[in-house]
Amino acid sequence: MEIKVLFFGVLAEVTGTNCKHYREVRSIGDLKHRIQDDFPEVVHYNYRFSLNDEIINNDPKLNDGDEVALMPPFAGG
Amino acid sequence: MNELISNILYAIVMNYLINGPVTQNIMAHFMEKMGEKTDSGGHSVFLGQVRADEINGKKVKAIEYSAYGAMVKVEADKIKETILLQFGDVRSIDIVHSTGIVKAGEISLFVLVSAGHRHQAIQACSKAVELIKEKLPVWKKEIFEDDSHEWKH
Repeated sequence: MEIKVLFFGVLAEVTGTNCKHYREVRSIGDLKHRIQDDFPEVVHYNYRFSLNDEIINNDPKLNDGDEVALMPPFAGG
Repeated sequence: MNELISNILYAIVMNYLINGPVTQNIMAHFMEKMGEKTDSGGHSVFLGQVRADEINGKKVKAIEYSAYGAMVKVEADKIKETILLQFGDVRSIDIVHSTGIVKAGEISLFVLVSAGHRHQAIQACSKAVELIKEKLPVWKKEIFEDDSHEWKH
């Protein structure tokens, strides 16, 4: 299985990427560790996860083709 | 209205986002359409403008916006539903938000609420702007005159 991870705002800048694919990740918690291994600087920033365009507050299982985003605090307007 | 402009406007209405500032032309097209809403007695408009703040002696020359387009669509649709449920007199809501570079003095957010009467038009417009600030996945960095930048939260 493979999922797509999007980085937004300041997180796109500090990771140097907008998008990265991860394979064989079971859950958001699992993914969080993988991301922190790849981009240790991410731990210094506040962000929330979304899964398939919905903000999540729990730790759901991930499925093939899922789209996850790391979203810093919103600043529209 | 020619077909190209009509298609561009349709894309903006459906997706809520435009690359660059909300220009006077775009606002004019929304204003023109107000005349078709003959069941409305009041329209309330909010325009968000990029401010030339001075931070630590450096002046903001522009803001660069980025957005999670798919989620903007989901959340803006929800905002419209919320407003229509809460304000029974509201007939329609238009939202346009910029992505990319918007210079100081240019418009980055356009909200137009039409209602049967003025009170709900004004209150619903205010509520819509608050929800947009809270819910839309949009990010901005201020770009200073020396081309350095700072992310805003």
